[in-house]
Amino acid sequence: MANAESNVDNNVEGQNVEGQNADGQNAEGPSAEGPSAEGPVDIDAVKRDWVGHKFDSTQFRVHGDRMLAWAEACGETDPRFTDADHPDFQAHPTYTAQFGAKQLFPKGFPKLGRGGFDAGKAVEVHQPVHAGETLTGESEIHDIYTKTGRSGTMIFIVHRMTFSNEAGEPVSTVDWRIMRSAKD
Amino acid sequence: MRYEDVELGDDLPETEPDVSMARVLQFCGSAKMNFPRFNDHEAARKEGLPGAIVPGIMSQGLLASMIHHWAPGARIVKLDTVFRTPIVVDTHPRCVGAITDTDDEQRRVEVDLTIMNDAGNTSVLGTALVELD
Amino acid sequence: MILDLHTHSVRSDDGRAKVENYCQWIRKKELPLDGFVLTEHRQFDDTSDYRELEDRYGLVILKASEVETDYGHVLVFGVNDDLRAAFDFARIDNSLPVVLESARRCGAVAAPCHPGRVNVGLFAHYEQKGPVEGVEMVEVCNGGSRSGEDELSAREAEHFGYKGFGGSDSHIVSRVGNCATQFDRDIHSIDDLVAALRDGHFEARTWRTPRAT
Repeated sequence: MANAESNVDNNVEGQNVEGQNADGQNAEGPSAEGPSAEGPVDIDAVKRDWVGHKFDSTQFRVHGDRMLAWAEACGETDPRFTDADHPDFQAHPTYTAQFGAKQLFPKGFPKLGRGGFDAGKAVEVHQPVHAGETLTGESEIHDIYTKTGRSGTMIFIVHRMTFSNEAGEPVSTVDWRIMRSAKD
Repeated sequence: MRYEDVELGDDLPETEPDVSMARVLQFCGSAKMNFPRFNDHEAARKEGLPGAIVPGIMSQGLLASMIHHWAPGARIVKLDTVFRTPIVVDTHPRCVGAITDTDDEQRRVEVDLTIMNDAGNTSVLGTALVELD
Repeated sequence: MILDLHTHSVRSDDGRAKVENYCQWIRKKELPLDGFVLTEHRQFDDTSDYRELEDRYGLVILKASEVETDYGHVLVFGVNDDLRAAFDFARIDNSLPVVLESARRCGAVAAPCHPGRVNVGLFAHYEQKGPVEGVEMVEVCNGGSRSGEDELSAREAEHFGYKGFGGSDSHIVSRVGNCATQFDRDIHSIDDLVAALRDGHFEARTWRTPRAT
């Protein structure tokens, strides 16, 4: 279990979860993943073994100045998100999509494919997020599947993070579809 | 914009968001994601990309802003996006949306969302569930 | 009769459209569609029953599949138990000749979709591996195509003598019907559709607008 002070003010040791993909950090570099599978990977077996597996709990502090910069950069005009003095000042609805766990995948998770791209995110908002809050994000593998597309054969791993506030109330659920290229 | 003002089939006003390098740098600073593929055209090309790209989560934020612009005060309950192709920084994408379902009891609408790139191809598509007064 | 032969619902992993919402949209927007075919990715949905929606909205709603082969993606119309036993719909590397032969043998029709698309289009594989016997028709109008893809599809279809049909490939509600297929007869069942496709009396139609590409 993560120390309550660890990762406060940081997103995954200072790196955003998309940055992990961009740098290929977890794809090619030191990783919590296990060794590459010998021969073709049985995706159904991996799915049976890992879907629903909870593996990380990380804390994140929400900063008002970053909330404002985010909203402005996204072209927001609603004062709930752009005016720190607004009585209902809150983070933009998909704000928690930036927060990444300390590990992209659980320890021992088989290395599926290579590389990594953000194929999309779904954010469900349970209640607003406010400046100064410390959120706890708990991770699990939510789904694994393969398909082919313009980019070739791809493996999708859905990393779900459930965020709660200091009162333990759920504030958002984020599903992150991580796309990796299958080894042909 | 109140729930009573909305009908299935309505189009949201189209937006042309600012994805200039300045804006993307601002976003990346807010999210602490300063990586070359987002802030350096040349470095991004070396990674095989057409140029520096807009972070996927920024494209989500652009769509959320489009919804709020259409309905100030609306509450986005869910926003689900599929990232199809990168949006290149310093280009001119368009955000469009349309109402595809209404729920009288919950005063919620479902919205189809698309971001199209300069060539008119879909970069991002998705849906949102929005609660209105 | 005009049918959108290629749509996805929330049953597909990247689908976000509910079937009733498709129906509502078609009627609200007064689209020139008499119905649509749900072609879910790598599966056949044998549990959903859309007859009540058909009656309520006056639309034909049929079920089919989009499977993945070594020559790209293929729509399969007329799925039955025999066909589902012939190959694994969930695989991403089915043999196209096997899919085509199995469909023929089991009374179904298998037709490559978005054939002009890289990696998952028939003609990209033809370039490398040569043509396959048994292809009779391909999707020449796909609502999700990027610039140039449908043009390539139409050109190559003509070259190989394949009939062309259309479908939106919609994954969200508002994309339904931007491409479709016009038939010269009424179609009320999957058997009617299979027979109409086999007879070859159809043509692709497109209503794409700048916003719908």
